[in-house]
Amino acid sequence: MRRPGGALTWSAAGRVLGVAAILAFALFPAYWMFSSAVDADAAHRGATLVPTNLTWDHFVRVLDTGGFGQFMRNSAIVALGTVFVSAGVALLAAVAVARFTFRFRTSVLVLILIVQMVPLEALVIPLFLQARNLQMLNSLLGLVIVYLAFSLPFAVWMLRGFVAAVPNEIEEAAYMDGASWGRMFWSVLLPLVAPGVVATSVFSFITAWNEFIFALTFLQDADKYTVAVGLQRFFGQNTADWGAVMAASSLITVPVVIFFVVVQRRLASGLTAGAVKG
Amino acid sequence: MSSTSTARVAPIVPRGPAPDAHRRRATRRRAARPWLLLAPTLVVLAVLLLWPLARVVNLSFQDYGLRELVSGESNYVGWANYAEILGDSYLWTVVLPNTVGFAVCCVVLTVVLGTLVALFLNILGTFWKTVCSTAIMVAWAVPAVTGTYVWIWLFDPLNGLVASALAAIGVIEPGTVNWYTDRLGFYAIATLNVVHHGFPFVAVTVLAGLLTVPKELYEAATMDGAGAWRRFWRITAPMLKPVFAVVTILSTIWDFKVFAQIYLMPGGNGGNAEVFNLGVWSYIQSFAQGKYGLGSAIAVLLTGLLLVITVVYMRTLFKEEDL
Repeated sequence: MRRPGGALTWSAAGRVLGVAAILAFALFPAYWMFSSAVDADAAHRGATLVPTNLTWDHFVRVLDTGGFGQFMRNSAIVALGTVFVSAGVALLAAVAVARFTFRFRTSVLVLILIVQMVPLEALVIPLFLQARNLQMLNSLLGLVIVYLAFSLPFAVWMLRGFVAAVPNEIEEAAYMDGASWGRMFWSVLLPLVAPGVVATSVFSFITAWNEFIFALTFLQDADKYTVAVGLQRFFGQNTADWGAVMAASSLITVPVVIFFVVVQRRLASGLTAGAVKG
Repeated sequence: MSSTSTARVAPIVPRGPAPDAHRRRATRRRAARPWLLLAPTLVVLAVLLLWPLARVVNLSFQDYGLRELVSGESNYVGWANYAEILGDSYLWTVVLPNTVGFAVCCVVLTVVLGTLVALFLNILGTFWKTVCSTAIMVAWAVPAVTGTYVWIWLFDPLNGLVASALAAIGVIEPGTVNWYTDRLGFYAIATLNVVHHGFPFVAVTVLAGLLTVPKELYEAATMDGAGAWRRFWRITAPMLKPVFAVVTILSTIWDFKVFAQIYLMPGGNGGNAEVFNLGVWSYIQSFAQGKYGLGSAIAVLLTGLLLVITVVYMRTLFKEEDL
């Protein structure tokens, strides 16, 4: 696209500006979060773009007296529990809809799509009452069970794309060699879709790690809080300890961002495979 | 599994009706297999999604308060909750405009911004494309809860970046302006938050779509003297219609049920009734006021609204592909 003289410099300048604008808009909130977390005088930094006195004090305070380590442990337990169960269950269902033709297959797919639209606000009331009756409020297990419900449909939908991407011929070759269906599943299909399972699991992990409305409603004691609810601790009646809030926010955000950026390719390919291919 | 049963059955009854029966059994087993694989998922969905949905509809016809919560008894009142909500001018003047207006603004801005970013990324070289897409992935990955706190902090009336910057250039008197108490200001900040969190999905999806459009089409159009604007409306837009349909409808569904981003903002958790949307109103009625029946009716209303959008979504999707 080389054009003589002025046009080239104008379009180059436009690109530089565009890249700068995208980077600034996309990254500024994350930058502001982290830079406030390491600013000794965070609450009064005002419009100072670069933090003045660098310090880890906010992190130490949040983890030490704020008890945020406990919240992160709780979130990790809930998220890992959700991931392990939902990955297994979703993979089985994904194989069913991607590899078999059976009556009501389309209905099952439609159901899986539709239930993703159900607002959590509608589920939180009946599930709260149910959990209350079963004495499951204030329990991390209760949260795992609930998170399973809304990480499953998405996981099935995504894994379906990954399973469908494995050529049928490979499966048939395994049968030719005398493998039973179960053997084929373990030794052939599972290793091939493993990357898809990892990508899907990361997504389930993030969903459970961040979830807010159910954690807010179900958890009552501070020692059971997950990170999303625990953050509220650093807000006073009318004031906020912004250094601590931003330090705690950074602790929540950093693992998620790293996970997400690492699996972005897989995620994108899984999404398009699920969305575009049959 | 099937190989062992073959070995057991075959030598005993070499011919006659038995192989038929065996084949039938094998066929039945093959027919049952997808359902066995689906069973755990279907059980989870039934118990944790469909049953609660039925229960919330049931609750919406009851006056279910703290007394019923303790006793566990039901207390049916017919359509009274719906009559109360639909007859309340608060729904029509505050909550519904908040919900719909906010969703429409967010969807339009998200899709336009996401598309512009995708078109721009498409003309960049590999290196800068990777850098920019990684940056927008970061914006996507920042959790809604922590992202919301950052926006609250940025717009903090006393010490936030925006207030301080505006005060420094003399536009406002420091500490005199509070955007959060004003409905428009509140929702402007919430819109910024949601658009920032939502545009990466649109950008990434549209960019993936752009890669499928044959380059020859653009070359031919350029030869015919079509400018960038015409090329977009004559080639890109029609070719990517299904992609735009999907991102628009998905964004609509997501933006209608925004909860944490509103609830966490100052006043959003009950302090300022001017800023509730349907989800927050339902939650406050249920868990702050203890009116679970009324809250359920509001939740059913929101679910119904989303169901309509979902049906449109399914129609669009089914037209494009055969599941």
